Amino acid sequence: MRMCVAFCGLLLAAANTYAGERQVSLDWLKTVAFAAHQTDYSGVFVYQYDNHVETSRITHVVEPDSEYEKLESLDGPKREIIRHHGHVWCYISHRMVQVDSHQGHSRFPSLLPEQLSTMDANYRAKEAGMERVAGYNTQVILFQPRDNLRYAHKIWAHTDSGLLLKAAVLGDKNQVIEQYAFTQLQIGGSIDRSWIGAKNQAQHDAEPSTSPELAKGGTPTNSGWVVDALPAGFRKTMEIQRSMRGRHAPVTQIVFSDGLSAISIFIEPADGDEDDVDGLSSRGTVNLYHKVLDKHLITVVGEVPPRTVMQVLDSVRYNGR
Amino acid sequence: MKQEISALMDGELFEDEAEDLLDRVKRDSDAHQNWAVYHLIGDVLRQPEHIHCDLSAKVRERMRDEHTVLAPRGRAVKQKMRAVALSAVASLVAVGVVAWMSLQIGPEAVPQMAMQQSGLRPASAQIQPKSNDYLMAHQEFSPSIDMNGGASYIRTVSYSTDEK
Repeated sequence: MRMCVAFCGLLLAAANTYAGERQVSLDWLKTVAFAAHQTDYSGVFVYQYDNHVETSRITHVVEPDSEYEKLESLDGPKREIIRHHGHVWCYISHRMVQVDSHQGHSRFPSLLPEQLSTMDANYRAKEAGMERVAGYNTQVILFQPRDNLRYAHKIWAHTDSGLLLKAAVLGDKNQVIEQYAFTQLQIGGSIDRSWIGAKNQAQHDAEPSTSPELAKGGTPTNSGWVVDALPAGFRKTMEIQRSMRGRHAPVTQIVFSDGLSAISIFIEPADGDEDDVDGLSSRGTVNLYHKVLDKHLITVVGEVPPRTVMQVLDSVRYNGR
Repeated sequence: MKQEISALMDGELFEDEAEDLLDRVKRDSDAHQNWAVYHLIGDVLRQPEHIHCDLSAKVRERMRDEHTVLAPRGRAVKQKMRAVALSAVASLVAVGVVAWMSLQIGPEAVPQMAMQQSGLRPASAQIQPKSNDYLMAHQEFSPSIDMNGGASYIRTVSYSTDEK
């Protein structure tokens, strides 16, 4: 009897440490999301997927009005992305090619408690030791999916600031599908802000000429399209009607998320020249699948395995408004 | 049917269900093709360096179109035949090596191989630049933006060699 009690006690203790560890890991996630928005930093990181490696510089500063962020490519043709206040500007070789914006400018605090509980249902989180990245000490946290419809995520968070210094997405054989890692990073201190004003000016100059191309933030809608075979744990976070570059008709976008990854479904009228669009394509963890269904072109995009985007698209149907 | 095949490949079916499905796959050529396609997709995505591509049907088809050499039997001819056979073997081997090498060279070769096979669509191609708008539209609502910040936009503008 005493043995039994002792054993139960042991089990309880084990369960407690497990729960504790899980909570600690989820707390880390909050810290990381907070740090990503509230820290000034500037550094160079490497992005790698398949046999492709690319180096970029990122600068993030927090001004009284909002955050400013600049991403510039250091390899290949010069590409630059500026984010500010829910707007995204994309420049290729100094020419602005795309503007995107969305409603609900500040989504901060970004990780809501219900999102964290969803996370727990979909992933097993655990701390996986300490490692050194770009000269800083980091805590490694592993998020193992509870099914094979999503990828595993491994993150390296700076122990002092909570900034994400490295992130890897792993497939079901634990192979790296894509990863980011800082190779050099400055946290806080004096960070070049001269580009902020200059870019603002450029934005104002550029906007009128590109206004027909300007993708406006969408309006909430209920399109009547439904997905029957959505993987467990994905919840609808948004359904909007938006305009997209080069499309005459508005496009419906429905977004589902499981806390770490998202699936977007785009629905637009098929205009007849899509005979070549069927099929699957990928870049790193992002898989894209197109199909024409009932005179509509359906596109599913997500940071999920190919089988998941295919399963989702194959179960999309119009349910009527 | 497709979903069942996918479930079978993921080892999610019970034994009797699996046997039943395998039976159907054996009988139904469409299902068999789906089976092959799913495996090809899986292989390409999991191990781009190591792809199993069944060329035998294709080779058999081409062999059927080849003319059969009809000639009186003779020692000299036999010798020549052997030489022809050997060179045929050599060229087949060469084709094999070239096919294998093209698999090794890069991801671009993969869709082409898949296309050649009974006119299939590419199993998994690189995302076309024209689809970048979808990626960009998706990115803004993805939770990865909360963790990685703007760094996750690198996916959207990533420079790949076929974007020229």
